[in-house]
Amino acid sequence: MIELQRTKYTDKEIYSSLNPLVRQWFKEKFKDFSEPQRFAIKNIHNKENTLISAPTGSGKTLSAFTSIISELVNLSEKHQLEDKVYCIYVSPLKALNNDIQRNLLEPLEEMTTMISNLKKKQKENLSKQIKSKNLGIRVSVRTGDTSASKKASMLKKPPHILITTPETLAIALVAPKFKYLISDVKWCIVDEIHALANNKRGVHLSLSLERLQNLAGRFCRIGLSATISPLDDVAKFLVGLENGKQRDCKIVDAQFIKKLDLKVVSPVNNIIEASFKELQDGLYNILDQMISAHKTTLIFTNTRSATERVVHNLMDRFPKKYTVNNIGAHHSSLSKEHRFDIEERLKQGKLRCVISSTSLELGIDIGHIDLVILLSSPKSVARAMQRVGRSGHKLLDKAKGRFVIMDRDDLVECALILKNALEKHIDNIDIPKNCLDVLAQHIYGIAIESINHIENIYSLVKRSYCYKDLTREDFMEVIKYLSGEYASLEYRKVYAKIWYDPDTEEVGKKGRLARVLYSTNIGTIPDESFITVKIGNQKIGTIDEGFLERLKKGDIFVLGGQIYEFKYARGMTIQVKANPGRPPTVPSWFSEMLPLSYDLALSIQRFRRLLEEKLKKQTKNQTMSFIHDFLYVDNNAANSIYEYFKEQYLFSEIPHDKKILIEFYEFQGRKNAIFHTCFGRRVNDVLSRSIAYAISRTEHFNVQITLTDNGFILSADRKLKALEGLKLIKSEELEDILKLAIDKTETLKRRFRHCASRSLMILRNYKGHRKSAGRQQISSQILINACREISSNFPIFKEAKREVMQDLMDIKNAKKVIKDIENRKIKIKIQDTKLPSPFALNLVMRGYTDLLKMEDKLDFIKRMHNMILAKISLGK
Amino acid sequence: MEILKGIEMIDLALYIKDSKILILSDFHIGYEEELNKKGILIPRSQFKKTLERLKKLFLKLKENPNTIIINGDIKHEFGTISGQEWDDTLYLIDFLQTKSEKIILIKGNHDTIIGPIASKKNLELVDDFKIDDILITHGHKIPPDLKKTIIIAHEHPCIGLTDNIVLEKYKCFLKGKWNQHNLIVMPSFNLITEGTDILKDKLLSPFLKKNKIETFECFLVFDKIRYFGKIKDLLKSKIIKRDIY
Repeated sequence: MIELQRTKYTDKEIYSSLNPLVRQWFKEKFKDFSEPQRFAIKNIHNKENTLISAPTGSGKTLSAFTSIISELVNLSEKHQLEDKVYCIYVSPLKALNNDIQRNLLEPLEEMTTMISNLKKKQKENLSKQIKSKNLGIRVSVRTGDTSASKKASMLKKPPHILITTPETLAIALVAPKFKYLISDVKWCIVDEIHALANNKRGVHLSLSLERLQNLAGRFCRIGLSATISPLDDVAKFLVGLENGKQRDCKIVDAQFIKKLDLKVVSPVNNIIEASFKELQDGLYNILDQMISAHKTTLIFTNTRSATERVVHNLMDRFPKKYTVNNIGAHHSSLSKEHRFDIEERLKQGKLRCVISSTSLELGIDIGHIDLVILLSSPKSVARAMQRVGRSGHKLLDKAKGRFVIMDRDDLVECALILKNALEKHIDNIDIPKNCLDVLAQHIYGIAIESINHIENIYSLVKRSYCYKDLTREDFMEVIKYLSGEYASLEYRKVYAKIWYDPDTEEVGKKGRLARVLYSTNIGTIPDESFITVKIGNQKIGTIDEGFLERLKKGDIFVLGGQIYEFKYARGMTIQVKANPGRPPTVPSWFSEMLPLSYDLALSIQRFRRLLEEKLKKQTKNQTMSFIHDFLYVDNNAANSIYEYFKEQYLFSEIPHDKKILIEFYEFQGRKNAIFHTCFGRRVNDVLSRSIAYAISRTEHFNVQITLTDNGFILSADRKLKALEGLKLIKSEELEDILKLAIDKTETLKRRFRHCASRSLMILRNYKGHRKSAGRQQISSQILINACREISSNFPIFKEAKREVMQDLMDIKNAKKVIKDIENRKIKIKIQDTKLPSPFALNLVMRGYTDLLKMEDKLDFIKRMHNMILAKISLGK
Repeated sequence: MEILKGIEMIDLALYIKDSKILILSDFHIGYEEELNKKGILIPRSQFKKTLERLKKLFLKLKENPNTIIINGDIKHEFGTISGQEWDDTLYLIDFLQTKSEKIILIKGNHDTIIGPIASKKNLELVDDFKIDDILITHGHKIPPDLKKTIIIAHEHPCIGLTDNIVLEKYKCFLKGKWNQHNLIVMPSFNLITEGTDILKDKLLSPFLKKNKIETFECFLVFDKIRYFGKIKDLLKSKIIKRDIY
């Protein structure tokens, strides 16, 4: 049973379960237990599976380790500590591993010192057995970076606590000698489980844990997580199933023990009237004020390029205050050395401010941060909490976060994030299910371990929460794929990774290289494929491969604030010309956009509906006081929200969770249908592609799509039957239509390559060659054609489609929307308009972004806005 | 459809009507095997597809040619030849010999050791082939003696057409001027990959490298040959803006 741990244990109860030495060490060091420790230590002592969700600095790590260390010290005292691994600690972050090792070695050393400091008599009292000063408990890190000699010495002197990554754990499971050392594991800790549960790395780990269980028998599973929801599902993901029934797990929910100090801040008083210069001045002044008033500030932007711009502008505007010595950028495209340097200086308190995209969200120890600033919406409540949770190092400190908003949609979005965070409504994650590519990798691994009956493998796989509903057919398709059945008999030996005997129903490994191929090719993180941009031999920067696919000779694009003309591509490099003197023809803002979470989108929609009701019936004062009560914003912000909604209300209609508004609007000869569907871009991607596909199929012309979190625009150079298109989509057929709509898209091809690589159909490392992602991409084009010919149900092809529809997009909730339209729970309103409504402005702008400079963009919005205001007042 | 007077495009081949010469090029037999060796485990269908497509081509041709010229790179691997590649290449030549008595192999850059195959089948192996005012050569280097019209292969030209949601590549013929000569670039008969996207990739042949490829006209090979106008017009065609991941 999955149940919430409600009992807090008393000091006495907890201490009585601990080894005296550990007890004394803990008392001296901490004096008191933190909340998660009060809940968890005793459970883990009892070997109960436990999921602990708590913020940074809440003693989460020790709540997992205290009982384990205590147990190991017990064994050490009794001279029963064997040469084997007792505890495996898995973290998705290699960087975290060294921190953890340090954090474990420190207490062990302190305990050792304690022993030697004890008077002889006390020593006897404390323990009859420990005479030596050494507890003999070993802790080692084993990752892809660990040297062969270190690995060899681990075989001789195995660590009692092994610190590793999901990938290295999967390799350990087939390592002939090392496997033996982990075959009696008693505990497994999965740290940062919130960064694993919603992606294929987590799916991969869930199967590794079941394989480990086959090897070691039952062990105690402990999950550590930052803010995440739903905890129930994450717990199920952690523990898996036994005989079709969920294994037991206790949930320790201490997510909200840290007090929150959150505010939405506008850089100017009137965000719609401000000029570009006023807005920019306002932004940097307010940033400077906040940074100056705090010791260390961490700023999150949503993109890497924005990170660079903020650093640059701060130093440019305040050259005496901010220099490379006290501020810095931290994002994933920067070199490892640079990031490490920033982290170290941050820990030492040498930096006033660090600007990061997403790379500092995860839990490496970054020292004392007293303010987190979020520039533009973090797009989900959980992400906002994780980012803000980086501040307030001690538990008693408040986590202090400021959302700086840049436009009115941003304001509404951030105000609702703030409300949900304070009211403890966290958006739900989706845990990927039945990923056939990850499954293929594991079956290959299992076959390498030993000859197995497929029935045993099937039941092992179904113990993972991610595969509990895996069908027999899909499972067999993967077995067939792995045994090379897709190739004609004469060549099968090239393709078969395992043999499958239908008579005995057994599988086993094939080929001498199997173990090497497995160890060098497993994992789920696709190779990053950046294309180097050059002028002659001079390197300018990088773009991602999806961007290259959109470029033709002569296209103009922006990179790092400069304009370049594309000349040609050669492998993983492109050649460009600087300063072509023409405006950009290709936008560059696509790749890194975070999607708005569905739950947050719905929350915005519900607020829209409530506000519409107030606007219909109530006075300005009453409505304003509603906004104040409902959201936690200041007067300025409340007023901006009021004005924004009032304008929309007078001009057109307020779209909300029960009303979709479609505006028909013509601009420069193009017909646009603006769909106000605030469901987040993952849902809007499904809706817009399906409708566009339906229209282009029946009308035989291409429809363009502009997509945002708040809606989408379909446009064409002739009359668009958008409403008819929407009506063509039936909830029952949505999946089939979408499958057709995504076929042959760049997105599907790219995802297919990732899946082919995970299923080991493309081997990144083969006979000493390492293949670049670009090389893989060329091959995946060939591969996808070949797979299409084999069967449309070929498991890798099927998985790529599933990944696009379920992980990248959100077909589940899109289907719900269509169903609600069918049931008339959602009404559709149509409007013909000469001007886009206020709510549509940002959406319309998106269609022109990058072709307009930021200045022009604001101009455009202001001009439109004034026209809208004029029209409203005429209407009155 | 004729690309130049007297020279017809038939599927992926050229046909010189007067002298009944059929030109094919760049089969790259053994391409999949090479990919397999590199760890890209794509199932083998190239040879089967090639034969099927050739059979259809001869149906369209309606008469048997006097001569079949293979304009380079019949096989894929440099320097070596595997058993499979050897068998498939011989089989392909056997098949072509049922259609025409005379087969001529033009050396391509992948044909460094094509000699044994040519001699086993009694085929002529040449650097280039001239007939009337036409020169046929693979195109990886510029031969000394040139003619009014030059037909090359080697480049594997194709064009990627996209509405920015869907991207599809099509093999194509190119026609343009090179130093007063008519230059024709033919597509490859390698059915596994479409080739070099002339709208974005770096060009390989010395005939094209320093040339204004933008002024060339292109003919896409699809259900039939379709004229797509000059490349510069394709490059200018309107781009569409939308979000992608």
